[in-house]
Amino acid sequence: MIGRLRSQAVDTGKFLTDWMEHRTGILTMMEHFLYEPVPKRGAWLYTLGSATLFCISLQFLTGILLLFYYVPTVDHAWNSIYYIMEEAYFGTLIRGIHYWSANFLLVFIGLHMAQVFFSGGYKAPRELNWVVGVVLLLLVIVLAFTGYLLRWDQDGFWASVVGMKIGSYSPFVGGPTIHFLLGGDVTGPATLSRFFAIHVWLLPAALAPFIGIHLYLLRKHGVFGSEFEYSDRLAKLHERQRLEEYEKYEEDGHEEDGEPYLGRRDREDRE
Amino acid sequence: MAELQKDPMTRGDFLGFGILGTIVGAILTIPPAAFVLGPLIDIDLRGQSDIPDDWFEVGSISEISEDEPKYFLVEFPVEQIYSQREIQEKSGTSKEEFTLDSGLWVSWKTEILEDGKYGSTQRPSFLDEYDGGSLSEEQVQEAQDAVNVLSNSCAHLGCPVRWIIREGEGELLCPCHGGIYNINGDYVAGPPPRDLYRYTHEVREDGKIYVRHEFDSGGEKGPQEPYVI
Repeated sequence: MIGRLRSQAVDTGKFLTDWMEHRTGILTMMEHFLYEPVPKRGAWLYTLGSATLFCISLQFLTGILLLFYYVPTVDHAWNSIYYIMEEAYFGTLIRGIHYWSANFLLVFIGLHMAQVFFSGGYKAPRELNWVVGVVLLLLVIVLAFTGYLLRWDQDGFWASVVGMKIGSYSPFVGGPTIHFLLGGDVTGPATLSRFFAIHVWLLPAALAPFIGIHLYLLRKHGVFGSEFEYSDRLAKLHERQRLEEYEKYEEDGHEEDGEPYLGRRDREDRE
Repeated sequence: MAELQKDPMTRGDFLGFGILGTIVGAILTIPPAAFVLGPLIDIDLRGQSDIPDDWFEVGSISEISEDEPKYFLVEFPVEQIYSQREIQEKSGTSKEEFTLDSGLWVSWKTEILEDGKYGSTQRPSFLDEYDGGSLSEEQVQEAQDAVNVLSNSCAHLGCPVRWIIREGEGELLCPCHGGIYNINGDYVAGPPPRDLYRYTHEVREDGKIYVRHEFDSGGEKGPQEPYVI
């Protein structure tokens, strides 16, 4: 009885996965996305990119949750965060994750960048992935900057004022940029609304496609530093050196003797 | 691409596409751009401000002592998006006064001696027996010329400066990066590119100082707009 049920369940499962695979190709896609040969040497360093992605996903998820209580107006922003921290169930946890994951996100990005830089992972054909990564870094920095003001406490407020004044020193574009961010010529209700819009919609919407491109390019070329890649490169290097050596001997041979070069051993034998 | 087209593009087609493209492009881009860049149009092109074009009371000149600046707080109403007065009146629901709380340091102009110490001040002598009554025209003029009305927002990155006394001599010190100004608000040391911002001010017959939300731009170290105050 149980054996029959089990075999039926297995059959149903198989049927469903086959059905989905046939129509969407999802299994092949999952296999393609999930399984990636990673070099054994320094394997832990290759998790830094995933750690970054994990933190960004946490930001998206906890950010959506925080939006259920946060109010982006100057008279209620601080109160609503106070409510999240003091009254809402697990509010401290959700906001804590958002806060700490934002901090660790920047740490992971820094380490990830360092790893790619020192291992030479940005070299051809992966240059554009580095460029996309820099765009992602800048987007995350602006996200961190705009998120700071949303708390509307003394700390966040003054940090944002100082940040914006740093920007105001840029020649020509400084003033207009500041007026764009402030939503006027002084900090006020418009400033908070703008930072909210930028933090919650504009930048995440810009971030998502760039993450997609980053991952696509990664999958296209594979992670840098696999053993295969090293042996391949070494083989190419040896081949090039051999050819150079050959050319050199050929030139030397023609100039000295005026007779075709037939290989080193050949000449030694004759002597 | 070109060989895929059945008919080669004529000059008329090209111009037609160009004109149509411009019109469609303008319809698609101008409204959202103007929507988002509204403040830039208002402030930078039309020269408007979110602070009403008005005089605001600071305090009485009799409160300013001879040897140190006096701190005043002025609450400028901010008319930005939903905090605009007409909108608040129309809705009738808002109980909140939206203000820009600005700190001011007000001092009497003081002579700076060669060693940086403070000399005599220009404090008007009629203040010694001033009882809060109305001032004459000469007294108003004398007081107005003798007073420094400074923004407490550091000219470097906008942190609020405070008055501290060190080795018997007072100075306005910024807590963020250590910018130092003297009692007149003039630059002494640190990273600020200029002196403290001075408000456009006037002293009236009632013996009080009034300011507008306007600042002197320029100074010896070149123009520096007070972007964030």
